[in-house]
Amino acid sequence: MQELNNKIAELLTNNLVSIFISYKKGLNGKIKPAFFTKPNEVYENYFGDEAQQNLAVYVHKPEVKKYSKVGILANIFALKALLQLYAENQIKDNYLTIVTVNQDNKVIVFADFNEIESYIAQHQIEKNTNKQKEINELLSLSREKRWEFWVEQLSSCIKCYACRAICPMCYCSKCTVELNQPQWISVPAHSLGNFEWHIMRMMHLACRCINCQECSRVCPMNIPLHLLTTKINSDMEEEFGQIAGMKTTLDFALNTFKVDDYENFIR
Amino acid sequence: MKILSGKIMNYKTLKIDNLDLFFNEIKKSGKNLLVPKKKGKTTYFSSFININDVEFNYIQTTISPKSALFPKVEELISFKKDDGTYVVTEPSIEKETIVFGLRPCDAVGLEYLSNFFLNEKSDFTVRLRKENTTLITLACKNFDENCFCTSVGLSPASIKGSDICLTDIGNGLFYAEIITDKGEKLIAEHSALFSNAEKINKESYVAQVPLKFDSDNLIKNIKNYYNSEKWTINSLPCLGCGACAFVCPTCTCFNIEDEANPVCGTRLRCWDSCAFGIFTLHASGHNPRPIQSNRWRHRVLHKFGYSVTNMDTLSCVGCGRCIRVCPAGMNIIEQILDLQEA
Repeated sequence: MQELNNKIAELLTNNLVSIFISYKKGLNGKIKPAFFTKPNEVYENYFGDEAQQNLAVYVHKPEVKKYSKVGILANIFALKALLQLYAENQIKDNYLTIVTVNQDNKVIVFADFNEIESYIAQHQIEKNTNKQKEINELLSLSREKRWEFWVEQLSSCIKCYACRAICPMCYCSKCTVELNQPQWISVPAHSLGNFEWHIMRMMHLACRCINCQECSRVCPMNIPLHLLTTKINSDMEEEFGQIAGMKTTLDFALNTFKVDDYENFIR
Repeated sequence: MKILSGKIMNYKTLKIDNLDLFFNEIKKSGKNLLVPKKKGKTTYFSSFININDVEFNYIQTTISPKSALFPKVEELISFKKDDGTYVVTEPSIEKETIVFGLRPCDAVGLEYLSNFFLNEKSDFTVRLRKENTTLITLACKNFDENCFCTSVGLSPASIKGSDICLTDIGNGLFYAEIITDKGEKLIAEHSALFSNAEKINKESYVAQVPLKFDSDNLIKNIKNYYNSEKWTINSLPCLGCGACAFVCPTCTCFNIEDEANPVCGTRLRCWDSCAFGIFTLHASGHNPRPIQSNRWRHRVLHKFGYSVTNMDTLSCVGCGRCIRVCPAGMNIIEQILDLQEA
């Protein structure tokens, strides 16, 4: 931890970053994001298992973008998110200083995104077998039972959009639900509106979701959104051989067009 | 702020073992009984089915009971074309509702919420729901680090806003304070379950929530805080979702959505949140609160400033839900302490 604190203080002191995004302990003991602008604030820095939030989401925030150079402490999910954002041309060159702490507690400052790509390749996250079990159980049900399951889950949605807000991949400055001239999808939090919202979001995340499962963590209604993202991710891997957050360049499964693509399904 | 109190009409006791009977009697009478239920990490209010899925082990429910008066989506009016003429239907709310297990702070929150809607122009559906809803509050035995009712002039023993307030006094007994006519009527319908009791001192049976901040000082100085630099740095974690507003018992903002075609349609009132970027976006494209720090400031100043000016009361009841639910760890107590420190 001291090594990390020294590194952050050094980056701030030498003006290599004007703000550093990390974690600290709140008044109630909950670990929350911290935004350090001065080296003398860094003593508050916290990094450990409780530091869950994917900080990559803050690189889109207009107030953060005002800072000329941003430093960020990234866990493995934040690294994947940042790499995916880079591949989607969402991160300017020389804007971010990305720092991580590896499993041997060594502080690593990445020189570029190629280094992040190879770091991620060496640090594969093991597939969560519990999640896979949950999905398999759901898949073993009949179509009608699965429908009932999702009707029950999604009708409880209150449309607070915490899932969208916490998601590093949800960076549209105007979301489809906010396009209201005319209204594209139904926005009230009734069953139809909730289904349209979650299906639309999942489609937009296909092959872009890096599976940090922050949407599930933050949902006030405890809707298991990770079941949808995990299933879509595994389908994408199976059908198109693509996994998000692995490469500096990529083809998007759902919006890449080739002249020899099949067309016989279009009627 | 003074400790809020109401006038108690009557005192009773209820055996905790008889709660099952009480709930089933209410259910049989055809009323809608809302009770706390648990789904994973979330506790919320939902219709009573049987005693086994009623949750009793909670500091505070994740979701407030406000939807009993102000649902997340409600139909205000609907129309249908029938034989060439349009038939317009207004909603009717006749079913009586009993809410069981809300906390004393929630009862005050719902009182604020109904005062807001019934203040000048009485809101039709909220008025009907208010008239048809009886609140059975459960005094708090425990609290957590996010509870701050005592800092806003309330306490786990407050009875303001409740129709009946139950306190667990040990030996398998609830001590019931019957506060309103509605409460009296409900007890009368189930009188066999309740025994007469003398007034007792509740204080030793309820949680002692420590003071977090001085709200008198906050109200006095709130005008000076508008231009504080702290809003910007403290709101950096805020991601602009509506979780805080939607779990809040006193957040009353809504948006009107019309869903219609030439044959039929409905006008719906939906929860809205001042944390959303488009909440204040004008048709011209101008947004008077263009950045998140402006929106966060508005939320805090509304709770502790604007509602004091407009309705002579704080609109924060210290339930701590916004703190517990925030995806990014925003904490209204921290913000207030930080402002007061300056």
